Amino acid sequence: MRMSFEEIAHTADVKIRARAPTLEALFSETFKALMQVMYGTHRAGGIQREIRIESSDNESLLADFLSEVLFLSEVERLVFSDARVTIDGLCLTAELTGEPFDPVRHSEGSEVKGISYSELAITHEANGYMLEIIFDV
Amino acid sequence: MLEGVNRIGMHEWEVPVGYVKGMRVPGRFFLSESLGKTLEPGAVQQLANVATLPGILKNSLAMPDIHWGYGFPIGGVAAFSVDEGIISPGGVGFDINCGVRLLATPLLHKDVSGRRDLIDELFRTVPTGVGAKSSLKVSSQVLEGMMVQGAQWAVKAGYGVEHDLVRCEEGGFMKTADKHAVSAKAKQRGIPQGGTLGSGNHFLEIQVVREIFNPVVAKAFGLSLGQVCCMIHCGSRGLGHQVCTDHLKILEGATRKYHITIPDRQLACAPITSPEGLAYFGAMASAANYAWANRQMITHATRQVLSKMFRIEYDQMPLIYDVAHNVAKMEEHVLDGKRMNVCVHRKGATRAFGPGSRDLPPDLASLGQPVIIPGSMGTSSFVLHGTQIAMDRTFGSTCHGAGRIMSRTQAKKHLSGREITANLLKEGIIVRAHSENAIADEAPGVYKPSDEVVNVVHEMGISRLVARLSPLGVIKG
Repeated sequence: MRMSFEEIAHTADVKIRARAPTLEALFSETFKALMQVMYGTHRAGGIQREIRIESSDNESLLADFLSEVLFLSEVERLVFSDARVTIDGLCLTAELTGEPFDPVRHSEGSEVKGISYSELAITHEANGYMLEIIFDV
Repeated sequence: MLEGVNRIGMHEWEVPVGYVKGMRVPGRFFLSESLGKTLEPGAVQQLANVATLPGILKNSLAMPDIHWGYGFPIGGVAAFSVDEGIISPGGVGFDINCGVRLLATPLLHKDVSGRRDLIDELFRTVPTGVGAKSSLKVSSQVLEGMMVQGAQWAVKAGYGVEHDLVRCEEGGFMKTADKHAVSAKAKQRGIPQGGTLGSGNHFLEIQVVREIFNPVVAKAFGLSLGQVCCMIHCGSRGLGHQVCTDHLKILEGATRKYHITIPDRQLACAPITSPEGLAYFGAMASAANYAWANRQMITHATRQVLSKMFRIEYDQMPLIYDVAHNVAKMEEHVLDGKRMNVCVHRKGATRAFGPGSRDLPPDLASLGQPVIIPGSMGTSSFVLHGTQIAMDRTFGSTCHGAGRIMSRTQAKKHLSGREITANLLKEGIIVRAHSENAIADEAPGVYKPSDEVVNVVHEMGISRLVARLSPLGVIKG
């Protein structure tokens, strides 16, 4: 299974469907979807940040990870381009790379207010993982 | 209309107990036949999910701008018994006290028609869009003032006049705020964003009063035909978003602790009087207060621009009213003839208190609360007044806006931001935004027609039309 994400129709908010061969890649794809929704496609690397999270199940781990990305991005005014995610049980480490927010290049998106648990489900299929998630915009 | 939903009145539909497992009361929503064509099954499911929550009173309700959200449907209203009921961030949303206010001016249509320089100056002055940063220095002391005393803090700090507070729900701040229940992370997000508008559907709009439906009430509210007004729509910014995120996590644990069964994780909740429930309520009230302070600071910036450009006095621009549309509040309501305190959740719904209710400005007490319903970009907004029927039927609530019918993905396929801006300009409406996508996302066609939505609440009598305003200029995130 190739890694991918797509935006699917949701009336009020942004709904993302992501697929990947591994759980780590699935988290990384969803992270990229979040950054694309917020800041568009022109995002570069350079500045490194690390996130460590522990949660009670995979869905919470993902929601907590993305919520932490929202927090970091906003308070440090950073736009991330990539994340290397490792998951050990219910502990996640993500090495993020990004750049300072640039109003000229990063104003094509919508502010994401929060990561919703509604309809959030990570499923394990024969050839990989799939999820759907709603971002409140 | 959807299968399993029963029509019980001209604009009234019931979702019977059993529609989803565990419903304690029926669901009820208000919608015209034609608006029903765009109703999503997901929204009805969410309305029914709310009916499963402990301590829910009477009905799980939704207003005619009902649509599919997360947790509660958008347009959802539910009241819970204080003794047996719950409080849930799923009934408030991430943008706590997202709300709208309307500011009067002494200007007439001809004074501002075609004045691009006014829209440009407002766009320069009020920070908008993703990554918007306040030009104001917000210290931790200031932040505390915003969280504890909301608009009252802002007025004391010079961002308004005393009269503004009389024209805000709750006098501009909830007295139950608990700053200690707000995390350091939420506070950190709140500091750089005081006085910023945000993005998405938030806007600042210069409007003109086009139609008066009720001259007596319009006059009492301070509205007259041809008058220019300013509408401000925004919320509690990152601070509120973080409060919701933090407390959802705490309440997930509480849901298990108190053995509450929920059909959607976003409905995580706790008994209102439990430590977790009280902590959320205190933090939510702090975020709500921050939002009131924020709208007050934006009001101040707007008054300064108008004052400078049109040589009008600051106090010639009174606030008509400020309403919250994502909030949970303790209110007194009459149920089965008994007066009782209940916790009303409004998620994309507006308080619409009727004549004689507490918390109304003394000069408007006999008329009912002003209700401000923003239209979508380019369409009419409305002012209504609250009614006794709303008190009797909807815990004093009405709709909050037009309600989306088209997703953002669909919207972008239809028209580009550039085309929409050009079309609006032909109608005399000037639009300024940081990106074309922001305009395409919020194009007029992605919303239900606002007049159809307000006609339903007017005909139902849960609020009554006072005036219609149309936009002349818009600034967006």
